[in-house]
Amino acid sequence: MSELEFLSLAAAAELIRAKKLSPVDYAKALLAHIERHEPTYHAFVTLTPERALADAKAAEAEIAAGRWRGPFHGMPYALKDIVDAAGLPTTGHSKILIDNIATADAPVTAKLRAAGGVLLGKLSTHEFAVGGPSFDLPWPPARNPWNRAHFSGGSSSGSGAGLAAGFFPAAIGTDTGGSIRNPASLCGIVGMKPTYGRVSRRGVLPLAFSLDHVGPMTRTVRDNALMLQVIAGYDSGDPASADIAVPDYGLDLERGVKGLRIGVIRHFYTRDVAADPEQIAVIEAAVAALTEQGAEVREITLPALADFSACGQIILAAESYAVHEPWLKQRPQDYGARGRERLLAGATLTAAHYLQAVRWRQRLKQQSLAAFRDIDVAITASSMDPACRIDDDAALATSYWRQARMPFNVTGQPGLVIPAGFAKNGLPLSLQIVGQPFGEALCYRVGQAYEAATGWVERHPAL
Amino acid sequence: MATTRETARALGLDRLTDEHLAQLERAMANVKRHTDRLPADLTPADEPAHVYPAQGSGR
Repeated sequence: MSELEFLSLAAAAELIRAKKLSPVDYAKALLAHIERHEPTYHAFVTLTPERALADAKAAEAEIAAGRWRGPFHGMPYALKDIVDAAGLPTTGHSKILIDNIATADAPVTAKLRAAGGVLLGKLSTHEFAVGGPSFDLPWPPARNPWNRAHFSGGSSSGSGAGLAAGFFPAAIGTDTGGSIRNPASLCGIVGMKPTYGRVSRRGVLPLAFSLDHVGPMTRTVRDNALMLQVIAGYDSGDPASADIAVPDYGLDLERGVKGLRIGVIRHFYTRDVAADPEQIAVIEAAVAALTEQGAEVREITLPALADFSACGQIILAAESYAVHEPWLKQRPQDYGARGRERLLAGATLTAAHYLQAVRWRQRLKQQSLAAFRDIDVAITASSMDPACRIDDDAALATSYWRQARMPFNVTGQPGLVIPAGFAKNGLPLSLQIVGQPFGEALCYRVGQAYEAATGWVERHPAL
Repeated sequence: MATTRETARALGLDRLTDEHLAQLERAMANVKRHTDRLPADLTPADEPAHVYPAQGSGR
């Protein structure tokens, strides 16, 4: 192992800019690392070494000629395999789309390409971002680098596993009911589900239109802010895209939390669901640390977690069935068992069920925003437990509702998950920072203050 | 299972095997837990928003 595998995006960018690190050497080092460890962790569906080296050579030549594009120039990254990259397969980790080749870049891919990114490949996901982990698909599920017998989280499972394993410093994930934040929690990395509409969803296989979000996954908060800076922005081709200016996410990153008003949504992880005591302990330690740094911390109350979960799951089931109905009718045998069962959930829902849930969402959203009226950000749990074993079906089923992520898919607010320590069994624990709509910068500011004070991101798994 | 098969056929899901029908049964039971929580006190004026976003400065 060289020191390049766990280099942060920010540090690598500085070295590349100063011409102390060759993008080609960097890409080659990561490809060699991937070649050695991918058979153990299964982060990739498709590896693109030729494309990566071509991208890296082009970046190196431009930088040598004095045309540095910014921090993503020459930066290796990978895409969850529901995001289109022209000329490459987009399979959704499913036999259904095993021969599907994207004809154009998704806008998020185009932005990363324009920023000079080096695409290493397409990453494992739960089937169509919903069914997994599954052993009955054309590719195996990703494994958790902290302990490969354990679940990596999902559905952006290859993104989380690959970051924790040092395969790349940045990846794209998607989040419909927590699929960026779950692998971020379980793999000990940083994942941001931005505000609904902040990042274009065009060219990304939909799961549930009104809950789908695209976002950055990295190993540090600063890297996450740098990546969101590249991918955020208005897209006239995405009906949900927000026509709102993108702020400079790095501007206030180091300002600390003194004077910030931070809410704690404690009932999510104590009363609504009783989290693992080790998980509760790290959140309370974070509350103490942020208070110590000068934040004004107070408890806030949102509607019950089970209400958000029920509302979100009804919407997810109805919208995803609308997408998958033709395939479920014609090719049900081509789905994995977990994906098929999840997607069939929408088959018997009525129009009234869906519309009542959508009406309910408006109420839940208003109640959540009212609770946030006098605070800047809130902190709460993401996962209630460290990663369970990947072969423990009962624990996997339980993990779908032992989480506090769905509320912010329902409301569309941003949610940043960061590492917050380790359980006694060595698996990562996490913290979620939730912002006002389009308040990603404040989430990053709080995350950066906590990260700098704790240093959890300096730990990496022994592969 | 016979009832579930009839339900599936009525939905156009006539290629589901017995294994798939068992999955459909579990899926239906799971989603019913959620629909049972739908609030009964939504008023006629509680409508799902459908709005034209104003043009901003994000381009």
